[in-house]
Amino acid sequence: MACNKEFAEKVHKYLDEDVTLLEKKQLESHIIKCEKCEKQLRDLKKTIAIIQSASHMEAPNNFTANVMSQLPKQSYKNKWKTWMRRHPFVLTAAVFFLMFVISVHSVWTEGNKEIIVKGDGHFIVDEQRRVVVIPEGQTISGDLVVKNGNVEVNGEVLGNITVIKGEQYLASAGHVAGEIQEINQVLEWLWFQTKSFFSDVISFIDSNDDKSIND
Amino acid sequence: MDAVVKKIILEVKKGNQNAFSELVELYKDKVYQVSYRMLGNVHEAQDVSQEAFLRAYINIETYDMNRKFSTWLFRIATNLAIDRIRKKKPDFHLEDQVAGTEDLTYYSQFASDDELPEDQVVQLEMQEWIQHEIMLLPPKYRSAIILKYMQDLSLKEISDILNLPVATVKTRIHRGREALRKRLNDS
Repeated sequence: MACNKEFAEKVHKYLDEDVTLLEKKQLESHIIKCEKCEKQLRDLKKTIAIIQSASHMEAPNNFTANVMSQLPKQSYKNKWKTWMRRHPFVLTAAVFFLMFVISVHSVWTEGNKEIIVKGDGHFIVDEQRRVVVIPEGQTISGDLVVKNGNVEVNGEVLGNITVIKGEQYLASAGHVAGEIQEINQVLEWLWFQTKSFFSDVISFIDSNDDKSIND
Repeated sequence: MDAVVKKIILEVKKGNQNAFSELVELYKDKVYQVSYRMLGNVHEAQDVSQEAFLRAYINIETYDMNRKFSTWLFRIATNLAIDRIRKKKPDFHLEDQVAGTEDLTYYSQFASDDELPEDQVVQLEMQEWIQHEIMLLPPKYRSAIILKYMQDLSLKEISDILNLPVATVKTRIHRGREALRKRLNDS
């Protein structure tokens, strides 16, 4: 034991590195003279060293697996939610795909009745037979697109003919300069839409270029 | 380290159960060590440390991300260990006499392993002796000494873990040290 209570306290504070510089000096000079306090400090240091020499312990091998197996089971919904959070792009892609399918479907099915014709020139729409007729002697200057009906060409078409959900009949007298295409399936139609979109974009860019050259 | 731990905890909070296994891997040895030193028994240590992780998982929502995770985890583990010590039936000590015998203590019932080289035996005896001395400390000094000298934690951290003022932690460490020193001198 230390020689008195005050120094007993100081020895512990010293070990906690909790002393002021002055207290430290006081204790150190006291220890030189006082054998009791010197032994007290030495013994306590030895005790600490022994406790600190206790080997580090490792948890048993299967520890983590044991813990994990005891965790409360996650509900199916929870697992699904977690998976979704970890793969946000799958969800986004799925939503977009769904929207896409719905919009394509609605565009494809809507207006099934009405015959839609796009083209420059004179033509006759025969609602009863559901046929678009290009009469003899008439010329369509550009492309011709007909939706929801058949086409009968007796005259001349300088561009391409595209028939969506319909057929084309080319009379012997008729003449088509470009290609003739019949589209009766969604995928074909999609491909056509994509192609025409890009060709529109390209022609738009081209015309812009022309303009800028002209400027 | 802390950033990694935070990231894992956020994952766990989001409901990713598998991320929790990374936390267990990171802290299992420390938690097991504290539990074993507190209880002095392999089976109980495993029980308590597993329970500590389970509680941490269940109560992860109450964990404050601004504080150190290890402090929170140690707090759960030491509380469980102290509860376990309180509930224990009246304990026997290794140096108590075995009933109906003279001169025979529980110490002599340890199986001795003849094959070990001498310095290993000394080392093993030393380790057993340390644990034995730790177990003789009252639990409140025991926890403070273990956290201070076996886990190398600061007084502030220990005060957070034990939910005590720093001054009280100091006193407990002083008394624990003193008790250990006395027996060391006597032995």
